Amino acid sequence: MSHPIIEAAAIDKFYQSYQALHGVSLTVAPGEFLALVGPSGCGKTSLLKILAGFEDPTSGDLMIEGKHMVGVPPSQRPTRMVFQKLALFPHKTVAENIGFPLKLAKVAHGEIDRRVREMLSLMHLKESYMNRLPAQLSGGEQQRVALARSMISKPSVLLLDEPLSALDAKLKKSLQAELKRLHRNLGTSFVHVTHDLEEAMMLADRICVMRAGHMLQVGTPEDIYYRPATTFVAGFIGETNLLPVMVAAHGGQGSKKWRFASPSIACADPVVDRTQSAPTVVDGDALMMLRPEMIHLLPEGTPDMPCAMTGIVDEYFVKGASIQYRVSVEGLAAPVILEVPGTLRRPADVGEPVRLGFRRLDAYLLPADPHAGVAA
Amino acid sequence: MKRLRKSWRDPALILAVAPAGLLMTAFFVVPLVMTALLSFQGTKYYRLVWTWNLDVWSDVFSQAHYWTIMGRTVWMSGLCVALCVILGLPIAYAMATRLKSLENHITILIVFAFLTDAVLKTFGWVLFLDRTGVFNGMLTLVGFPPGATDLLFGPGATMIGMVYNLLPYTIFTIYLSMVRIDRDLILAAYDAGASKTRTFFEVTLPLARPGIYAGAILVFVLSLGVFLEPKVMGGGTSPMAAELIRQSFETRVNWPLGAALTLVVIGIGMVSLGLAALVVRNRLQGQDLQGQGGQV
Amino acid sequence: MTKEIKTPNRLGPNPMIGQGLSRRDLLKSAGAVAALGAGLATGLVPARAKAASSLNFMCWEGYNGADIIVPFEKANDCTVSFDLIADSPGGFAKLAAGGYRDFDVVATDSPWVARMGPADLCDFIDQGEFQAEYDSFYDQFKAPFTPLEYEGKATGLPTRWGWVGPTVNTKFDKLETWSSYAPCFDPAYKDKICVLDWGDWPIMPMALYAGINPYKELDKAELEEIRKVLRALFKNTRAVVGDLSVAQKGLLDGSFRALIGGGTYCTSALRKDGHKEIMSIVPEPKNGLNQGIIWMEAAGLIKGSDNLDLAKKLVKRLVSPEVAVNLAWTEATCNLVPSKAAEDLFSAEQKDVLQMDYMWHAWDNSQFHDVAPNIDEMLEIWQQELAAAR
Repeated sequence: MSHPIIEAAAIDKFYQSYQALHGVSLTVAPGEFLALVGPSGCGKTSLLKILAGFEDPTSGDLMIEGKHMVGVPPSQRPTRMVFQKLALFPHKTVAENIGFPLKLAKVAHGEIDRRVREMLSLMHLKESYMNRLPAQLSGGEQQRVALARSMISKPSVLLLDEPLSALDAKLKKSLQAELKRLHRNLGTSFVHVTHDLEEAMMLADRICVMRAGHMLQVGTPEDIYYRPATTFVAGFIGETNLLPVMVAAHGGQGSKKWRFASPSIACADPVVDRTQSAPTVVDGDALMMLRPEMIHLLPEGTPDMPCAMTGIVDEYFVKGASIQYRVSVEGLAAPVILEVPGTLRRPADVGEPVRLGFRRLDAYLLPADPHAGVAA
Repeated sequence: MKRLRKSWRDPALILAVAPAGLLMTAFFVVPLVMTALLSFQGTKYYRLVWTWNLDVWSDVFSQAHYWTIMGRTVWMSGLCVALCVILGLPIAYAMATRLKSLENHITILIVFAFLTDAVLKTFGWVLFLDRTGVFNGMLTLVGFPPGATDLLFGPGATMIGMVYNLLPYTIFTIYLSMVRIDRDLILAAYDAGASKTRTFFEVTLPLARPGIYAGAILVFVLSLGVFLEPKVMGGGTSPMAAELIRQSFETRVNWPLGAALTLVVIGIGMVSLGLAALVVRNRLQGQDLQGQGGQV
Repeated sequence: MTKEIKTPNRLGPNPMIGQGLSRRDLLKSAGAVAALGAGLATGLVPARAKAASSLNFMCWEGYNGADIIVPFEKANDCTVSFDLIADSPGGFAKLAAGGYRDFDVVATDSPWVARMGPADLCDFIDQGEFQAEYDSFYDQFKAPFTPLEYEGKATGLPTRWGWVGPTVNTKFDKLETWSSYAPCFDPAYKDKICVLDWGDWPIMPMALYAGINPYKELDKAELEEIRKVLRALFKNTRAVVGDLSVAQKGLLDGSFRALIGGGTYCTSALRKDGHKEIMSIVPEPKNGLNQGIIWMEAAGLIKGSDNLDLAKKLVKRLVSPEVAVNLAWTEATCNLVPSKAAEDLFSAEQKDVLQMDYMWHAWDNSQFHDVAPNIDEMLEIWQQELAAAR
């Protein structure tokens, strides 16, 4: 990996006595698309403001492009921000908005005009919009103008503060694709704040999950989804089943043997290897995470899977591409959630007893303690 | 924002507007019409004579001294507007930004100054600005000769009084439009590479325009009618329109003349506002749309 | 005579049309309501307890003092309602426009009382009936007192008087300096003259200084002379002041060397406060023309009073020695009274404050103030010259 473009080390941020960030350390590689996700109040926006220079960390260090940034005003940083509410200047035309950073940089008038037109075409905006005011454009078009303004001066890092959050689903989808395309074409590093995990998974190279000022996990979308560090990460991202188990070391190389607390679940050879267990899992109580799509409904007459359980259908939801079932299994507090591919003939009805199975390979063990591995 | 689409024939609307309409008619339209009618009468020996002619109007348009005073009034009002805006801007800006924590205190102070009787304040200024007054006393303390300034009883003192009494209007209107500016717009300007000064001129000032215009219009209209300041602080030797009207009504007991001069001042005010509206409409175009779903 | 600002604290445009509804109006409408309602609800009567009779009194502030009115109301079992005059022509205009029906007694500037005669607004004073009052006056005011007469009949009785002349501070100027208005035009007094913005008051003395008697019909040339003298006056004028307290303050600290257009009216309150250095004098006659002006207030009966006897009693009370002292000695101003009988009621100090030892000298060297025939033109000239002053 080449030298990181952003290096944040042990950043604390206090607002009076309230601590918004607890020792956050983060690196972003050149050209990387990093998503910061977490529920509101988790500190992701504070972190973004510190990156942008609107605020300084209370303690800790921040380097961008190898230069110390603490105390450097936003105008002196190689970053540009796309604001949640876009913050287009209502009294300036589209061209004036987009060209504003260049005007401030004292770029020649003709050059500004050329680059504004270039940005317009890159953003698929009509040149006839140049003399319009932002209020005369649609929401999606304003979004593109905001992106164009932040990218015209070719920043090395683009900071995006949930700019898509207010759009309707369809427009959001198309702009997400647009963002991805832009990122690929420009090679700029993107730091994208969002509370929409699906968006983060679709767009980001790496995702950083935050909660209450702590960074819980940084990793690829696969890491975050399939190998979450904690039950919070697991639960924050999509629905999941967490089945209580007892674990114990088994053999070498970090393999673990488990035993279900509930007798209704049986497993042949209940062992997972090192890659199927969070490093924080210790012997004793643990949780087995199974994504709903990993649990299968076994029709009558089909053979059992290596791991199997029986239960009674509690409820089902037809979601279109899939059908979600909630099955109550004896000995488990919460119903087991599973998703089967959508089909014209629904495989089971409410109240029907069903057989469920999953592959041992799909299991992932998490510590039972939700705060395991998170410094207080 | 959606416009209310109500028919003017809606009985509920008519009923709702009726009290205000009646009040306006009784206390504004009727007196104005009476004033207009009065201007066609004559006066003889302190007595009103019902003549129905244009004598008063031909007097108004043939005598230079009325227009000297009207011209002075417009000039003083314009100057007062300029000073109030120039002084009000930094104060409002400071209130909306730097002094955010003291904002309430400052607001209360200004409101108090506002509510204090204008007569009292004006006389306070007389004591302050006089040759032997507090201001000269302070100057003496720092080494100036006694009576270093002679501001009282002149147009300068009138202007000080006018600006002092009318400044709160611009401070408040500008302040209100400044606090309405989305903080993100300021950050966006910083982010784009603007300094604080540049941001003020590129973003804050243009977006505070509605407040500046509103304050300017208020101050201008109120300036046209100032009475105490030229009379008490200005020493009465450079009278403005309100004093001219008072003299006509009261000293000369020439009601028709007073009525005609009143209409002249109203006319000047309306023409000025009309011109201002033309300018403002062109310049504000964009910002009218600001609130209307402009931002996603 | 127009005196816009009668007291130091009153400043601002004075409404021409009195102070709203008079109390009689109110009572009338209350009565009408009661009459209307009587058919529906018996016993609906005005809540106000009514005295046996009532009087409506149009007057300057000062004449309505409780010391003057309350004993009168008690002695005669009546109520007296006031309508305070903001300016005398306005008060007269109100009476002439039909308002006389609402009033019983008026106390205002004497020219306007005198004008009630020709305007047929007054009940003339029967000299026999008021003999005792005339007897109590100084000789100068005894019947027949021509300034208040119309066709040989008295329109009213004088109540208060004083003179118009330069008011000066003897700390800064010798009195002899002001034995003429000449310093008003002396470059040495540039920016040291205060002109009182009291309508015709400052114009008349300037006309007299220019050798013109402004109380006569004037021709164009004479009006031009008045224009010139006003123009010259404004060159030396520091301020045209409507407010007495501002004028007095300047006089005390020496920034005004003289107040022009005032006189006893602005002097006596200062003398009362111990500023004996402040004096109002009358300049010496110039080319045979008296330079001083005597102003006077008077009380008269208004035609068609419902209660003429009571109205006469009120007029008699207003000129009685007891009330005269009261009228002479008010909070804001001190003035002279025509009542010789009152003289003994003043202390030596009060007599000194009122410059009583000077009063007959002033009287002898003065004109009587009246409404000048060319007042419209003179006021217009005043307005024009003031507009061009700076």
